[in-house]
Amino acid sequence: MTAKTVLVVDDERAIQRFLRASLEENGFAVIDASTGNAALDLAVSRKPDVVLLDLTLPDMDGLDVLKRLREWSSAPVIVVSARGEESDKIAGLDRGADDYLIKPFGVEELLARIRVALRHAERAARDPEPVYEHGDLKIDLGARRVWLARKEVRLSPLQYTLLAALVRQAGRVVPQKQLLKELWPEGGSTPEALRILVHQTRHRIEREPVRPRHLKTEPAVGYRLESPDE
Amino acid sequence: MSESPREYGLAVAAIALCTGACFALFRFLTLTDVVMVYLVGILAVALRGGRGPALFASLLGVAAFDFFFVPPRFTLHVERPQYLVTFAVMFGVALLISHLAVRVRLQAEAAKSAELKAETERLRSSLLSAVSHELRTPLAAIIGSASALLAEPPGGGPARRELLENVRDEGERLARLVHNLIETTRLESGASLKKEPYPIEDVIGTALARVDKLLAGRPVESDLPDNLPVVPVDPVLMELVFVNLLENAARHAPEGPLDIMARERMDALEISVSDRGPGLKPEDLDRVFEKFYRASAAPGAGLGLAIAKAVVEAHGGTIRAENRPGGGASFRLTLPRGERR
Repeated sequence: MTAKTVLVVDDERAIQRFLRASLEENGFAVIDASTGNAALDLAVSRKPDVVLLDLTLPDMDGLDVLKRLREWSSAPVIVVSARGEESDKIAGLDRGADDYLIKPFGVEELLARIRVALRHAERAARDPEPVYEHGDLKIDLGARRVWLARKEVRLSPLQYTLLAALVRQAGRVVPQKQLLKELWPEGGSTPEALRILVHQTRHRIEREPVRPRHLKTEPAVGYRLESPDE
Repeated sequence: MSESPREYGLAVAAIALCTGACFALFRFLTLTDVVMVYLVGILAVALRGGRGPALFASLLGVAAFDFFFVPPRFTLHVERPQYLVTFAVMFGVALLISHLAVRVRLQAEAAKSAELKAETERLRSSLLSAVSHELRTPLAAIIGSASALLAEPPGGGPARRELLENVRDEGERLARLVHNLIETTRLESGASLKKEPYPIEDVIGTALARVDKLLAGRPVESDLPDNLPVVPVDPVLMELVFVNLLENAARHAPEGPLDIMARERMDALEISVSDRGPGLKPEDLDRVFEKFYRASAAPGAGLGLAIAKAVVEAHGGTIRAENRPGGGASFRLTLPRGERR
Protein backbone atom coordinates (compact mmCIF):
# COMPACT_ATOMS: atom_id res chain seq x y z
CA MET A 1 0.00 0.00 0.00
CA THR A 2 1.37 3.40 -0.89
CA ALA A 3 1.63 6.01 1.81
CA LYS A 4 -1.34 8.34 2.19
CA THR A 5 -0.56 11.95 1.42
CA VAL A 6 -1.42 14.72 3.86
CA LEU A 7 -1.48 18.34 2.70
CA VAL A 8 -0.57 20.57 5.64
CA VAL A 9 -1.71 24.18 5.18
CA ASP A 10 -0.23 26.40 7.90
CA ASP A 11 1.91 29.51 7.77
CA GLU A 12 3.69 28.86 11.07
CA ARG A 13 7.06 27.18 10.58
CA ALA A 14 7.05 25.64 14.07
CA ILE A 15 3.66 24.01 13.50
CA GLN A 16 4.67 22.76 10.05
CA ARG A 17 7.79 21.16 11.50
CA PHE A 18 5.85 19.42 14.25
CA LEU A 19 3.18 18.17 11.86
CA ARG A 20 5.64 16.99 9.21
CA ALA A 21 7.80 15.14 11.76
CA SER A 22 4.95 13.40 13.50
CA LEU A 23 3.04 12.50 10.34
CA GLU A 24 6.11 11.11 8.57
CA GLU A 25 6.99 9.15 11.69
CA ASN A 26 3.56 7.53 11.38
CA GLY A 27 3.86 6.55 7.74
CA PHE A 28 2.22 9.47 5.95
CA ALA A 29 3.70 11.43 3.06
CA VAL A 30 3.56 15.16 3.78
CA ILE A 31 3.35 18.12 1.45
CA ASP A 32 3.00 21.59 2.88
CA ALA A 33 1.74 25.00 1.86
CA SER A 34 1.94 28.24 3.80
CA THR A 35 -0.60 30.23 1.78
CA GLY A 36 -4.12 29.58 0.61
CA ASN A 37 -3.20 29.91 -3.05
CA ALA A 38 -0.29 27.48 -2.77
CA ALA A 39 -2.63 25.08 -0.97
CA LEU A 40 -5.19 25.21 -3.78
CA ASP A 41 -2.45 24.65 -6.40
CA LEU A 42 -1.05 21.65 -4.51
CA ALA A 43 -4.51 20.22 -3.98
CA VAL A 44 -4.96 20.21 -7.77
CA SER A 45 -1.53 18.90 -8.72
CA ARG A 46 -0.92 16.38 -5.93
CA LYS A 47 -4.44 15.23 -5.01
CA PRO A 48 -3.78 14.69 -1.28
CA ASP A 49 -5.78 12.09 0.66
CA VAL A 50 -6.32 14.42 3.62
CA VAL A 51 -6.00 18.18 4.07
CA LEU A 52 -5.09 19.80 7.40
CA LEU A 53 -6.20 23.39 6.97
CA ASP A 54 -5.32 26.23 9.33
CA LEU A 55 -7.90 29.01 9.23
CA THR A 56 -5.47 31.90 9.69
CA LEU A 57 -3.46 32.27 6.48
CA PRO A 58 -1.54 35.28 5.19
CA ASP A 59 -3.25 35.63 1.81
CA MET A 60 -6.85 34.53 2.32
CA ASP A 61 -9.31 33.27 4.91
CA GLY A 62 -9.01 29.53 5.48
CA LEU A 63 -12.79 29.24 5.17
CA ASP A 64 -12.56 30.57 1.60
CA VAL A 65 -9.86 28.03 0.79
CA LEU A 66 -12.21 25.36 2.07
CA LYS A 67 -15.09 26.66 -0.01
CA ARG A 68 -13.02 26.72 -3.21
CA LEU A 69 -11.57 23.29 -2.49
CA ARG A 70 -15.03 21.85 -1.98
CA GLU A 71 -16.11 23.05 -5.44
CA TRP A 72 -14.27 20.13 -6.98
CA SER A 73 -12.67 17.97 -4.30
CA SER A 74 -14.20 15.58 -1.79
CA ALA A 75 -10.92 14.82 0.00
CA PRO A 76 -11.44 14.97 3.77
CA VAL A 77 -10.50 18.33 5.27
CA ILE A 78 -9.69 18.79 8.95
CA VAL A 79 -9.84 22.40 10.00
CA VAL A 80 -7.16 23.47 12.47
CA SER A 81 -7.62 26.68 14.37
CA ALA A 82 -5.98 28.56 17.21
CA ARG A 83 -8.72 31.14 17.46
CA GLY A 84 -10.80 28.80 19.57
CA GLU A 85 -14.11 30.36 18.57
CA GLU A 86 -17.15 28.10 18.42
CA SER A 87 -18.38 30.03 15.39
CA ASP A 88 -15.20 29.04 13.48
CA LYS A 89 -15.84 25.36 14.09
CA ILE A 90 -19.46 25.58 12.98
CA ALA A 91 -18.57 27.66 9.91
CA GLY A 92 -15.88 25.12 8.96
CA LEU A 93 -18.25 22.16 9.26
CA ASP A 94 -20.96 24.08 7.39
CA ARG A 95 -18.62 24.61 4.45
CA GLY A 96 -17.78 20.96 4.15
CA ALA A 97 -14.94 20.31 6.61
CA ASP A 98 -14.97 16.77 8.00
CA ASP A 99 -13.68 17.65 11.43
CA TYR A 100 -11.72 20.21 13.38
CA LEU A 101 -8.85 20.39 15.83
CA ILE A 102 -8.24 23.26 18.20
CA LYS A 103 -4.65 24.24 18.87
CA PRO A 104 -3.00 23.13 21.03
CA PHE A 105 -3.54 19.42 20.39
CA GLY A 106 -1.47 16.29 20.94
CA VAL A 107 -0.21 13.95 18.26
CA GLU A 108 -2.52 11.09 19.32
CA GLU A 109 -5.55 13.31 18.80
CA LEU A 110 -4.26 14.38 15.40
CA LEU A 111 -3.64 10.82 14.21
CA ALA A 112 -7.02 9.64 15.48
CA ARG A 113 -8.82 12.39 13.55
CA ILE A 114 -6.88 11.67 10.36
CA ARG A 115 -7.63 7.95 10.57
CA VAL A 116 -11.34 8.57 11.08
CA ALA A 117 -11.43 10.99 8.16
CA LEU A 118 -9.63 8.53 5.87
CA ARG A 119 -11.79 5.60 6.91
CA HIS A 120 -14.91 7.62 6.39
CA ALA A 121 -13.81 8.73 2.94
CA GLU A 122 -13.16 5.10 1.97
CA ARG A 123 -16.37 3.84 3.43
CA ALA A 124 -18.45 6.51 1.71
CA ALA A 125 -17.75 4.64 -1.51
CA ARG A 126 -18.98 1.33 -0.06
CA ASP A 127 -22.02 0.47 2.02
CA PRO A 128 -21.88 1.48 5.67
CA GLU A 129 -20.93 -1.18 8.18
CA PRO A 130 -24.19 -2.56 9.52
CA VAL A 131 -22.85 -3.31 13.00
CA TYR A 132 -21.14 -0.76 15.24
CA GLU A 133 -19.15 -1.90 18.24
CA HIS A 134 -17.27 0.28 20.70
CA GLY A 135 -16.33 -1.10 24.09
CA ASP A 136 -19.44 -2.49 25.74
CA LEU A 137 -21.82 -0.86 23.25
CA LYS A 138 -23.15 -2.67 20.17
CA ILE A 139 -25.56 -1.22 17.63
CA ASP A 140 -27.00 -3.32 14.77
CA LEU A 141 -28.42 -1.00 12.14
CA GLY A 142 -29.85 -3.88 10.11
CA ALA A 143 -31.80 -5.35 13.02
CA ARG A 144 -32.43 -1.95 14.67
CA ARG A 145 -31.21 -3.32 18.01
CA VAL A 146 -28.82 -1.98 20.66
CA TRP A 147 -26.90 -3.83 23.39
CA LEU A 148 -24.97 -2.53 26.38
CA ALA A 149 -22.64 -5.14 27.91
CA ARG A 150 -24.52 -7.92 26.04
CA LYS A 151 -27.83 -6.82 27.51
CA GLU A 152 -30.34 -5.49 25.03
CA VAL A 153 -31.27 -1.83 25.58
CA ARG A 154 -34.80 -0.56 25.01
CA LEU A 155 -34.80 2.76 23.20
CA SER A 156 -37.55 5.05 22.02
CA PRO A 157 -37.75 5.42 18.20
CA LEU A 158 -36.26 8.91 18.44
CA GLN A 159 -33.39 7.74 20.66
CA TYR A 160 -32.66 5.00 18.13
CA THR A 161 -32.79 7.44 15.21
CA LEU A 162 -30.25 9.64 17.02
CA LEU A 163 -27.87 6.72 17.53
CA ALA A 164 -28.28 5.53 13.93
CA ALA A 165 -27.50 9.03 12.62
CA LEU A 166 -24.36 9.14 14.78
CA VAL A 167 -23.28 5.59 13.82
CA ARG A 168 -23.33 6.54 10.15
CA GLN A 169 -20.84 9.33 10.98
CA ALA A 170 -19.01 7.40 13.70
CA GLY A 171 -15.85 9.11 14.89
CA ARG A 172 -16.82 12.42 13.37
CA VAL A 173 -18.48 15.38 14.96
CA VAL A 174 -22.07 15.77 13.76
CA PRO A 175 -23.27 19.36 14.00
CA GLN A 176 -26.35 20.06 16.07
CA LYS A 177 -28.08 21.64 13.05
CA GLN A 178 -27.65 18.47 10.99
CA LEU A 179 -29.03 16.26 13.78
CA LEU A 180 -32.05 18.53 14.19
CA LYS A 181 -32.76 18.18 10.48
CA GLU A 182 -32.36 14.40 10.51
CA LEU A 183 -34.40 13.78 13.65
CA TRP A 184 -37.19 16.27 13.01
CA PRO A 185 -37.31 16.60 9.21
CA GLU A 186 -40.53 18.59 9.33
CA GLY A 187 -38.94 21.06 11.75
CA GLY A 188 -40.57 22.34 14.90
CA SER A 189 -37.89 21.22 17.30
CA THR A 190 -35.25 23.06 19.30
CA PRO A 191 -31.61 22.55 20.29
CA GLU A 192 -32.92 22.17 23.83
CA ALA A 193 -35.05 19.17 22.81
CA LEU A 194 -31.99 17.63 21.13
CA ARG A 195 -29.87 18.13 24.26
CA ILE A 196 -32.53 16.47 26.39
CA LEU A 197 -32.77 13.59 23.91
CA VAL A 198 -28.99 13.09 24.06
CA HIS A 199 -29.15 13.24 27.85
CA GLN A 200 -31.84 10.55 27.97
CA THR A 201 -30.07 8.38 25.40
CA ARG A 202 -26.86 8.59 27.45
CA HIS A 203 -28.72 7.30 30.47
CA ARG A 204 -29.57 4.19 28.42
CA ILE A 205 -26.24 3.48 26.73
CA GLU A 206 -23.60 4.81 29.12
CA ARG A 207 -22.54 3.18 32.36
CA GLU A 208 -21.60 6.57 33.79
CA PRO A 209 -23.60 9.21 31.86
CA VAL A 210 -21.64 12.14 33.30
CA ARG A 211 -18.43 10.62 31.91
CA PRO A 212 -19.67 9.25 28.59
CA ARG A 213 -17.38 6.80 26.82
CA HIS A 214 -19.36 6.50 23.59
CA LEU A 215 -21.53 9.53 22.98
CA LYS A 216 -19.44 12.67 23.48
CA THR A 217 -20.51 16.31 23.44
CA GLU A 218 -18.56 18.82 21.36
CA PRO A 219 -19.47 21.96 23.31
CA ALA A 220 -21.61 24.43 21.37
CA VAL A 221 -21.05 22.47 18.12
CA GLY A 222 -22.61 19.03 18.17
CA TYR A 223 -22.04 15.41 19.17
CA ARG A 224 -19.58 12.66 18.36
CA LEU A 225 -19.99 8.91 18.66
CA GLU A 226 -16.52 7.41 19.18
CA SER A 227 -15.14 5.49 16.19
CA PRO A 228 -15.81 1.75 16.29
CA ASP A 229 -13.24 -0.70 17.61
CA GLU A 230 -10.83 -1.95 14.97
CA MET B 1 -30.70 64.79 23.87
CA SER B 2 -29.82 68.29 25.03
CA GLU B 3 -32.48 70.96 25.09
CA SER B 4 -30.13 73.86 25.60
CA PRO B 5 -31.02 77.55 25.24
CA ARG B 6 -29.47 77.22 21.77
CA GLU B 7 -32.30 74.99 20.64
CA TYR B 8 -34.86 77.49 21.97
CA GLY B 9 -32.96 80.27 20.16
CA LEU B 10 -33.22 78.14 17.04
CA ALA B 11 -36.99 77.93 17.55
CA VAL B 12 -37.23 81.74 17.77
CA ALA B 13 -34.99 82.13 14.69
CA ALA B 14 -37.02 79.61 12.66
CA ILE B 15 -40.34 81.31 13.46
CA ALA B 16 -38.81 84.73 12.75
CA LEU B 17 -37.54 83.43 9.39
CA CYS B 18 -40.99 82.02 8.49
CA THR B 19 -42.61 85.28 9.52
CA GLY B 20 -40.15 87.30 7.42
CA ALA B 21 -40.63 85.10 4.37
CA CYS B 22 -44.44 85.24 4.59
CA PHE B 23 -44.33 88.94 5.21
CA ALA B 24 -42.31 89.50 2.03
CA LEU B 25 -44.54 87.23 -0.03
CA PHE B 26 -47.83 88.06 1.66
CA ARG B 27 -49.29 89.49 -1.51
CA PHE B 28 -49.04 86.10 -3.24
CA LEU B 29 -50.08 83.96 -0.31
CA THR B 30 -53.37 82.93 1.22
CA LEU B 31 -53.62 82.44 4.99
CA THR B 32 -53.53 78.63 4.48
CA ASP B 33 -50.15 78.94 2.71
CA VAL B 34 -48.83 80.97 5.65
CA VAL B 35 -49.89 78.18 8.04
CA MET B 36 -47.99 75.67 5.86
CA VAL B 37 -44.82 77.77 5.97
CA TYR B 38 -44.98 77.89 9.79
CA LEU B 39 -45.49 74.13 9.95
CA VAL B 40 -42.33 73.60 7.87
CA GLY B 41 -40.43 75.81 10.32
CA ILE B 42 -41.78 73.85 13.30
CA LEU B 43 -40.83 70.55 11.63
CA ALA B 44 -37.27 71.83 11.17
CA VAL B 45 -37.07 72.77 14.86
CA ALA B 46 -38.42 69.38 15.93
CA LEU B 47 -35.82 67.57 13.81
CA ARG B 48 -32.92 69.58 15.23
CA GLY B 49 -34.03 70.33 18.79
CA GLY B 50 -36.30 68.22 20.94
CA ARG B 51 -39.79 68.10 22.32
CA GLY B 52 -39.42 71.29 24.37
CA PRO B 53 -38.14 73.56 21.57
CA ALA B 54 -40.72 72.06 19.16
CA LEU B 55 -43.58 72.83 21.56
CA PHE B 56 -42.15 76.32 22.08
CA ALA B 57 -41.92 76.85 18.30
CA SER B 58 -45.54 75.67 17.89
CA LEU B 59 -46.83 78.22 20.43
CA LEU B 60 -44.65 80.95 18.98
CA GLY B 61 -45.76 80.09 15.44
CA VAL B 62 -49.46 80.29 16.30
CA ALA B 63 -48.90 83.61 18.11
CA ALA B 64 -46.88 85.08 15.23
CA PHE B 65 -49.47 83.91 12.70
CA ASP B 66 -52.20 85.62 14.69
CA PHE B 67 -50.26 88.80 15.30
CA PHE B 68 -48.82 89.37 11.81
CA PHE B 69 -51.32 87.87 9.41
CA VAL B 70 -54.77 87.24 10.88
CA PRO B 71 -57.01 90.29 10.46
CA PRO B 72 -57.00 92.66 12.18
CA ARG B 73 -53.25 92.50 11.56
CA PHE B 74 -50.63 93.55 14.15
CA THR B 75 -52.90 92.78 17.08
CA LEU B 76 -53.57 89.58 18.95
CA HIS B 77 -57.25 90.40 18.63
CA VAL B 78 -59.26 87.98 16.49
CA GLU B 79 -62.02 89.29 14.27
CA ARG B 80 -63.89 86.13 13.42
CA PRO B 81 -64.32 83.16 15.79
CA GLN B 82 -63.50 80.56 13.08
CA TYR B 83 -59.86 81.73 13.26
CA LEU B 84 -59.78 80.22 16.75
CA VAL B 85 -60.47 76.86 15.07
CA THR B 86 -57.64 77.56 12.61
CA PHE B 87 -55.28 78.22 15.53
CA ALA B 88 -56.34 75.04 17.29
CA VAL B 89 -55.86 72.92 14.14
CA MET B 90 -52.53 74.61 13.39
CA PHE B 91 -51.34 74.01 16.94
CA GLY B 92 -52.56 70.41 16.89
CA VAL B 93 -50.86 69.63 13.58
CA ALA B 94 -47.68 71.34 14.82
CA LEU B 95 -47.65 69.17 17.94
CA LEU B 96 -48.28 66.02 15.93
CA ILE B 97 -45.50 66.58 13.41
CA SER B 98 -43.04 67.59 16.10
CA HIS B 99 -43.91 64.47 18.08
CA LEU B 100 -43.38 62.27 15.01
CA ALA B 101 -40.19 64.07 14.05
CA VAL B 102 -38.72 63.66 17.53
CA ARG B 103 -39.60 59.97 17.50
CA VAL B 104 -37.97 59.43 14.11
CA ARG B 105 -34.88 61.21 15.38
CA LEU B 106 -34.71 59.12 18.57
CA GLN B 107 -35.07 55.92 16.56
CA ALA B 108 -32.29 56.98 14.22
CA GLU B 109 -30.07 57.76 17.20
CA ALA B 110 -30.86 54.41 18.86
CA ALA B 111 -30.04 52.57 15.63
CA LYS B 112 -26.77 54.45 15.40
CA SER B 113 -25.76 53.65 18.97
CA ALA B 114 -26.70 49.97 18.51
CA GLU B 115 -24.54 49.94 15.40
CA LEU B 116 -21.69 51.49 17.35
CA LYS B 117 -22.08 48.92 20.12
CA ALA B 118 -22.09 46.05 17.62
CA GLU B 119 -19.00 47.52 15.98
CA THR B 120 -17.21 47.75 19.37
CA GLU B 121 -18.19 44.16 20.13
CA ARG B 122 -16.86 43.01 16.74
CA LEU B 123 -13.60 44.86 17.25
CA ARG B 124 -13.12 43.47 20.74
CA SER B 125 -13.90 39.97 19.64
CA SER B 126 -11.50 40.10 16.69
CA LEU B 127 -8.78 41.58 18.90
CA LEU B 128 -9.25 38.81 21.46
CA SER B 129 -9.17 36.10 18.85
CA ALA B 130 -5.99 37.59 17.38
CA VAL B 131 -4.33 37.61 20.82
CA SER B 132 -5.61 34.11 21.44
CA HIS B 133 -4.12 32.99 18.12
CA GLU B 134 -0.74 34.58 18.87
CA LEU B 135 -0.51 32.92 22.28
CA ARG B 136 -1.86 29.55 21.31
CA THR B 137 0.24 29.00 18.21
CA PRO B 138 3.61 28.69 19.98
CA LEU B 139 1.95 26.62 22.71
CA ALA B 140 0.57 24.32 20.02
CA ALA B 141 4.08 23.82 18.61
CA ILE B 142 5.52 23.11 22.09
CA ILE B 143 2.77 20.73 23.21
CA GLY B 144 2.55 19.05 19.81
CA SER B 145 6.30 18.50 19.57
CA ALA B 146 6.53 17.13 23.11
CA SER B 147 3.60 14.80 22.52
CA ALA B 148 5.17 13.60 19.24
CA LEU B 149 8.42 12.77 21.04
CA LEU B 150 6.46 10.97 23.76
CA ALA B 151 4.63 8.91 21.15
CA GLU B 152 7.91 7.62 19.67
CA PRO B 153 9.41 4.38 20.94
CA PRO B 154 11.07 5.11 24.27
CA GLY B 155 14.79 5.86 24.25
CA GLY B 156 17.22 7.72 26.46
CA GLY B 157 15.96 6.39 29.76
CA PRO B 158 13.12 7.26 32.10
CA ALA B 159 14.45 10.73 32.94
CA ARG B 160 14.03 11.83 29.32
CA ARG B 161 10.44 10.67 29.30
CA GLU B 162 9.71 12.45 32.55
CA LEU B 163 11.20 15.68 31.23
CA LEU B 164 9.15 15.43 28.06
CA GLU B 165 6.02 14.86 30.11
CA ASN B 166 7.00 17.96 32.05
CA VAL B 167 7.21 20.01 28.86
CA ARG B 168 3.84 18.74 27.63
CA ASP B 169 1.96 19.00 30.94
CA GLU B 170 3.23 22.46 31.77
CA GLY B 171 2.52 23.59 28.21
CA GLU B 172 -1.04 22.39 28.68
CA ARG B 173 -1.24 24.20 32.01
CA LEU B 174 -0.09 27.38 30.32
CA ALA B 175 -2.70 26.84 27.61
CA ARG B 176 -5.41 26.59 30.28
CA LEU B 177 -4.10 29.78 31.87
CA VAL B 178 -4.22 31.58 28.52
CA HIS B 179 -7.76 30.34 28.02
CA ASN B 180 -8.72 31.64 31.47
CA LEU B 181 -7.09 35.02 30.83
CA ILE B 182 -8.84 35.44 27.51
CA GLU B 183 -12.23 34.46 28.88
CA THR B 184 -11.76 36.77 31.89
CA THR B 185 -10.96 39.64 29.57
CA ARG B 186 -13.96 38.84 27.40
CA LEU B 187 -16.23 38.77 30.42
CA GLU B 188 -14.80 41.91 32.03
CA SER B 189 -15.06 43.92 28.84
CA GLY B 190 -18.78 43.30 28.96
CA ALA B 191 -19.27 40.65 26.27
CA SER B 192 -22.70 39.08 26.53
CA LEU B 193 -23.24 35.48 27.63
CA LYS B 194 -24.57 33.01 25.07
CA LYS B 195 -27.04 31.37 27.42
CA GLU B 196 -29.07 28.35 26.38
CA PRO B 197 -30.87 25.73 28.42
CA TYR B 198 -28.54 22.78 29.11
CA PRO B 199 -28.70 19.65 31.21
CA ILE B 200 -25.94 20.45 33.73
CA GLU B 201 -24.72 16.85 33.49
CA ASP B 202 -23.70 17.54 29.89
CA VAL B 203 -21.64 20.60 30.87
CA ILE B 204 -19.99 18.79 33.78
CA GLY B 205 -19.28 15.89 31.42
CA THR B 206 -17.37 18.01 28.90
CA ALA B 207 -15.41 19.60 31.77
CA LEU B 208 -14.50 16.16 33.11
CA ALA B 209 -13.36 15.09 29.64
CA ARG B 210 -11.21 18.21 29.42
CA VAL B 211 -9.38 17.50 32.71
CA ASP B 212 -9.19 13.74 32.17
CA LYS B 213 -5.41 13.72 31.77
CA LEU B 214 -4.94 16.08 34.69
CA LEU B 215 -6.98 13.86 36.99
CA ALA B 216 -4.84 10.89 35.93
CA GLY B 217 -7.26 8.22 37.02
CA ARG B 218 -8.36 9.94 40.26
CA PRO B 219 -11.79 8.63 41.17
CA VAL B 220 -14.60 11.12 40.63
CA GLU B 221 -17.84 10.31 42.37
CA SER B 222 -20.81 12.03 40.88
CA ASP B 223 -24.25 12.28 42.38
CA LEU B 224 -26.52 13.84 39.78
CA PRO B 225 -30.22 12.91 39.93
CA ASP B 226 -31.71 11.80 36.57
CA ASN B 227 -34.49 14.35 36.59
CA LEU B 228 -32.57 17.58 37.17
CA PRO B 229 -34.09 20.51 35.29
CA VAL B 230 -32.16 22.18 32.48
CA VAL B 231 -30.53 25.51 33.37
CA PRO B 232 -29.77 28.45 31.09
CA VAL B 233 -25.95 28.63 30.84
CA ASP B 234 -23.24 29.71 28.46
CA PRO B 235 -21.83 26.22 27.83
CA VAL B 236 -18.27 27.33 27.06
CA LEU B 237 -17.96 29.55 30.14
CA MET B 238 -19.76 27.15 32.46
CA GLU B 239 -17.49 24.32 31.31
CA LEU B 240 -14.58 26.58 32.29
CA VAL B 241 -16.06 26.96 35.80
CA PHE B 242 -16.07 23.19 36.34
CA VAL B 243 -12.65 22.74 34.71
CA ASN B 244 -11.25 25.32 37.14
CA LEU B 245 -12.96 23.84 40.19
CA LEU B 246 -11.78 20.34 39.28
CA GLU B 247 -8.24 21.53 38.52
CA ASN B 248 -8.17 23.40 41.81
CA ALA B 249 -9.39 20.35 43.72
CA ALA B 250 -6.91 18.05 41.98
CA ARG B 251 -4.04 20.37 42.78
CA HIS B 252 -4.86 21.15 46.41
CA ALA B 253 -6.01 17.69 47.38
CA PRO B 254 -3.47 15.32 45.88
CA GLU B 255 -5.28 12.22 47.12
CA GLY B 256 -8.74 10.86 47.63
CA PRO B 257 -11.82 11.00 45.46
CA LEU B 258 -13.42 14.16 44.09
CA ASP B 259 -17.16 14.52 44.59
CA ILE B 260 -19.60 16.27 42.30
CA MET B 261 -23.13 16.67 43.52
CA ALA B 262 -26.14 18.50 42.14
CA ARG B 263 -29.53 19.16 43.74
CA GLU B 264 -32.65 20.93 42.64
CA ARG B 265 -33.59 23.83 44.93
CA MET B 266 -36.64 26.08 44.89
CA ASP B 267 -35.74 28.16 41.84
CA ALA B 268 -32.11 27.23 41.40
CA LEU B 269 -29.76 24.35 40.83
CA GLU B 270 -27.12 23.78 43.49
CA ILE B 271 -23.91 22.08 42.46
CA SER B 272 -20.88 21.29 44.57
CA VAL B 273 -17.36 20.15 43.73
CA SER B 274 -15.57 18.79 46.80
CA ASP B 275 -12.33 17.07 47.71
CA ARG B 276 -10.87 15.17 50.65
CA GLY B 277 -7.72 17.27 50.93
CA PRO B 278 -6.49 19.48 53.76
CA GLY B 279 -9.35 21.98 53.31
CA LEU B 280 -9.11 25.74 53.61
CA LYS B 281 -8.06 27.95 56.51
CA PRO B 282 -10.96 30.02 57.83
CA GLU B 283 -9.32 33.26 56.70
CA ASP B 284 -8.99 31.88 53.16
CA LEU B 285 -12.65 30.92 52.69
CA ASP B 286 -13.66 34.31 51.32
CA ARG B 287 -10.36 35.31 49.80
CA VAL B 288 -9.78 32.29 47.53
CA PHE B 289 -11.94 33.93 44.87
CA GLU B 290 -9.74 37.03 44.67
CA LYS B 291 -7.71 37.31 41.51
CA PHE B 292 -4.15 36.02 41.99
CA TYR B 293 -4.78 35.27 45.64
CA ARG B 294 -3.05 32.09 46.74
CA ALA B 295 -4.41 30.12 49.61
CA SER B 296 -1.67 30.14 52.19
CA ALA B 297 -1.57 26.36 52.48
CA ALA B 298 -0.89 25.41 48.88
CA PRO B 299 0.78 26.59 45.67
CA GLY B 300 -0.87 27.74 42.46
CA ALA B 301 -1.83 31.11 41.01
CA GLY B 302 -5.39 31.99 41.82
CA LEU B 303 -6.99 32.92 38.57
CA GLY B 304 -9.15 29.84 38.10
CA LEU B 305 -11.38 30.45 41.11
CA ALA B 306 -11.64 34.17 40.34
CA ILE B 307 -13.00 33.49 36.88
CA ALA B 308 -15.26 30.74 38.23
CA LYS B 309 -16.82 33.32 40.52
CA ALA B 310 -17.06 35.93 37.75
CA VAL B 311 -18.80 33.48 35.40
CA VAL B 312 -21.22 32.17 38.03
CA GLU B 313 -22.14 35.72 39.04
CA ALA B 314 -22.60 36.74 35.41
CA HIS B 315 -25.20 33.95 35.30
CA GLY B 316 -26.96 35.48 38.30
CA GLY B 317 -25.72 32.74 40.61
CA THR B 318 -23.57 32.53 43.72
CA ILE B 319 -20.48 30.56 44.71
CA ARG B 320 -18.86 29.98 48.07
CA ALA B 321 -16.13 27.90 49.59
CA GLU B 322 -16.52 25.88 52.76
CA ASN B 323 -14.83 23.09 54.67
CA ARG B 324 -16.49 19.70 54.72
CA PRO B 325 -17.17 17.92 57.95
CA GLY B 326 -14.55 15.19 58.07
CA GLY B 327 -11.99 17.19 56.10
CA GLY B 328 -11.67 18.62 52.63
CA ALA B 329 -12.79 21.70 50.77
CA SER B 330 -16.11 22.14 49.02
CA PHE B 331 -17.11 24.71 46.42
CA ARG B 332 -20.84 25.17 46.26
CA LEU B 333 -22.51 27.13 43.49
CA THR B 334 -26.09 27.93 42.63
CA LEU B 335 -27.47 28.72 39.20
CA PRO B 336 -30.92 30.27 38.77
CA ARG B 337 -33.27 28.16 36.68
CA GLY B 338 -34.53 31.11 34.67
CA GLU B 339 -38.11 31.63 33.64
CA ARG B 340 -40.34 28.57 33.45
CA ARG B 341 -41.98 27.80 30.14
